[in-house]
Amino acid sequence: MSIDARMKFYCDENRCIHCDGCSVACAEAHELPVGVNRRKVVTINEGKIGLEFSLSVACMHCTDAPCEEVCPVDCFYIREDGIVLHSKEKCIGCAYCLYACPFGAPQFPEDGAFGTKGVMDKCTMCAGGPEETNSNKERELYGQNRISEGKVPVCAAMCSTKALLVGDAASVSDIFRERVLSAGHGVQSAPYGWDKAYGK
Amino acid sequence: MANTWGYGAMTNSLNDIQNAKAIIIFGANPAVNHPVGFGHFLKAKERNNAKIIVIDPRYTKTAAKADLYAQIRPGTDIPFMYGMLHLIFKNGWQDKSYIKDRVYGMDLIIEEAKKWTPSKVEEVTGVSADLLIQITRAYAKETPGTLIWAMGLTQHTIGSSNTRLAPILQLSLGNIGIEGGGCNILRGHDNVQGATDMCCLSHTLPGYYGLSKGSWKYFAKSWGVDYDWLTKRFKSEDWMGKKGFTLSRWWSGVLGGNPGEDKIHNAGTNIKALFVMGNGITSTAQTKKVKEALDNLDIAVFCDPFVNEGAVITDKQDDVYILPATTQFETSGSVTATNRSAQWRNKVIEPMYEAKTDQDIMFEMAKRLGFYDELTMGMKVKENKKTYTFPEDATDEIARIIKTIGLTGWTAERLKKHSENWHQFDQVSLRGYGNMTGEYYGLPWPCWTEKHSGSPVLYNINRPVKEGGMGFRARFGVEHEGVDILAGAGSAPKNSSNKDGYPQITKENIEEVLGITLSEDEKKRMGKNWKVDTSNLIAEKCMEAGIAPYGNAKARANVWTFPDKIPLHREPLHSPREDLVKEHPSYATKENHYRVDTQYVTKQTEKPWAKEFPINLITGRLVNFNGAGMETRASKYLSALTPDMFCDINPDLAGRHGIRDGSMMWIHSPEGTKIKVKAKYSHSVTPDRIFIPLHFAGVMEGVDLSHKYPKGTKPYAIGESANTVTNYGYDIITQIPETKGGLCRVERA
Repeated sequence: MSIDARMKFYCDENRCIHCDGCSVACAEAHELPVGVNRRKVVTINEGKIGLEFSLSVACMHCTDAPCEEVCPVDCFYIREDGIVLHSKEKCIGCAYCLYACPFGAPQFPEDGAFGTKGVMDKCTMCAGGPEETNSNKERELYGQNRISEGKVPVCAAMCSTKALLVGDAASVSDIFRERVLSAGHGVQSAPYGWDKAYGK
Repeated sequence: MANTWGYGAMTNSLNDIQNAKAIIIFGANPAVNHPVGFGHFLKAKERNNAKIIVIDPRYTKTAAKADLYAQIRPGTDIPFMYGMLHLIFKNGWQDKSYIKDRVYGMDLIIEEAKKWTPSKVEEVTGVSADLLIQITRAYAKETPGTLIWAMGLTQHTIGSSNTRLAPILQLSLGNIGIEGGGCNILRGHDNVQGATDMCCLSHTLPGYYGLSKGSWKYFAKSWGVDYDWLTKRFKSEDWMGKKGFTLSRWWSGVLGGNPGEDKIHNAGTNIKALFVMGNGITSTAQTKKVKEALDNLDIAVFCDPFVNEGAVITDKQDDVYILPATTQFETSGSVTATNRSAQWRNKVIEPMYEAKTDQDIMFEMAKRLGFYDELTMGMKVKENKKTYTFPEDATDEIARIIKTIGLTGWTAERLKKHSENWHQFDQVSLRGYGNMTGEYYGLPWPCWTEKHSGSPVLYNINRPVKEGGMGFRARFGVEHEGVDILAGAGSAPKNSSNKDGYPQITKENIEEVLGITLSEDEKKRMGKNWKVDTSNLIAEKCMEAGIAPYGNAKARANVWTFPDKIPLHREPLHSPREDLVKEHPSYATKENHYRVDTQYVTKQTEKPWAKEFPINLITGRLVNFNGAGMETRASKYLSALTPDMFCDINPDLAGRHGIRDGSMMWIHSPEGTKIKVKAKYSHSVTPDRIFIPLHFAGVMEGVDLSHKYPKGTKPYAIGESANTVTNYGYDIITQIPETKGGLCRVERA
């Protein structure tokens, strides 16, 4: 990762098969309440021949994040690496960010007897929150902080077909570019030098 | 498959699918059932421009990634494949020299295929003639092509014919024994191949040795136990040679003889006790019968990490025991992947709470039943040890005994080394490099000797035998009706000392076939044939000479011991097409079929089923659940994805019955059973069929069984078991249930 990295997600539509590995791994890793979908897989035109496709969606960690723009209590902050986080202690649960978000990322747990909305919860790109890194409080409020441990966010790590990519935008585009360029060029089915040593 | 070319196993590997130029999938949904493995399919498409062709009664997640998709009527795969063969032979797309040298009986197939013109196929399968032509052209013209199947092809009364015609289709195109080709059957659970190889089945000893007296004696000797002692475990010696009940029909063993039940042949008694280890018993057909049988047992024992719902559906109050078994994370040992590769798995944590590993449960049982010493002797006998180390000594025992599928090279030490060095293997070819040079990952069987590389692609004659090459197995003799069925000249594996076909290697013929002379000492040490040669001299000599110990024969399209010599279309027992039942009726009743008299045409014509039950019923899996679901429904996140048992129903069919999206509906079965489930509008099924997932249990015929779970063990999701409404119907050879194409009637609840 370069110094001026911008962390981004990318989901390859040609590879996503709606296995829900990402969303279940996310819920499991961050011990989310059922119904809070930090990441969700969506299938469009389900069962319609030739029209069906699936995609995994979460917070896209926008550079110019509309949620941050509209938040009345200014609970959002953007890390230097581009990850958009927020403070649950400042958040008032007004859901105005949900209006602003183009992806439906903000989630609101239903608390209490009348389904009152709790404070907002969303994808942290596995980077925790404003509390002390890897503290119990951070874990309780925001879930695991895998980024601080140098790990890939759990959704992309779990992705069965490697449709979901995450990382520095430059690295993500490198991986995708390689996929595009190698398309149709066949597979290398033997390690380098095998044919010389053993014949084809 | 085993009856076509010798082994009933995936010929290539998931990884090798990346080498394919065309992939045709019959009755399998790998995007849902093998999501990680499906990555190889997608890479083949992405990097190799491979055409993905899906033949399935419903538009699945796999079909969504296909280039060509045919929505076939359930149970008509044979007409579809004959339709393809019709076009292949008509256009001369077949591999003529391959068929001449390596296939026996293709002439009969050519004759039968003549009947299946595209328009006839359209009439029977519902797939348009144009689409059939398009698919056949795409598949036949792009080589190598790999053929995939799973339960959608096997779970039919004619499943054993389906799984013969698919290999024949591949043989016609010369697609077997090459990288990127093959018949790649996807195994549905972890270690299914291993369980099959060890034969957790009732018709053979481990390693497919059969039940002959010779096999029993070989095992008695290899296990270090007395043959006479073994015979005393049975009612009499002749019962040792008889097949037992199958998983799908064990309940007949309990209920047999009751009014309306099939007759059984079980030495005059019914089954009285049931011991279940890790089998989701509600995932087998006809759950109501399963329940009734459970109710009538003297004793039932379930060993599972979670409560087996067999214990929940039964009304039996006493003598039902639930033993807590560990998960795979609490034990170690080798597991066999779908491609015949083994992998060593290490223990992650010690067994939790009072749970015991499966092997400890068995050892403790054996102690109390008085045969612990005999059970464990095989692990000690080789080095005359006093004690054994589990599982290493068990793995070595398997390697020492099982010659038939070439497990000699699978020592615990080698398997561990592979798993520890998995990063030193190529991910497409499985070839090792660095420290692992000259070996294939997991030593895919046959792995003939302790130095053998493993065989990543079965029946590949382009490699020497010691590097995984081989022809087809000489399993069915050397001639049939005067015709030589050994391989033709020029189809011997590379560097073979014998360029012709040859029979399986025995002590008697080894000198002649290999062109060698044995020393007196070698003759003394050598076993009678390659399957029982504990000295392993036959295999060693064969490797030197480039000869496959099991011979080199033709694959056969004609299985003369089966009721249908070549695969023939027969309508499902419950078919929506009365007219076609007359034209393609099922078999005559098969007596003593795994101890149960099993009905075919009598059941098929008992009533005009389709009048009352006009809708095709398909069952299958979901991505978030596994098997009977007791493990996965205990996860709140997995359950949240599909919290309720549901039915995929076309809005058109639903609309005709006044069933709204998300409302409850009844599904009635010809068996007189019914289930109440939530309707889910879906275009993935046509209005003449519905789909229901098979993972639920805990509700039966509308009655909630929540109160029957022991305190704190109820899963997050319960629901009607799909198998409560699956129909009677069992394969003519294997007894596998016909769950992929029965009939039902739907109704608003």
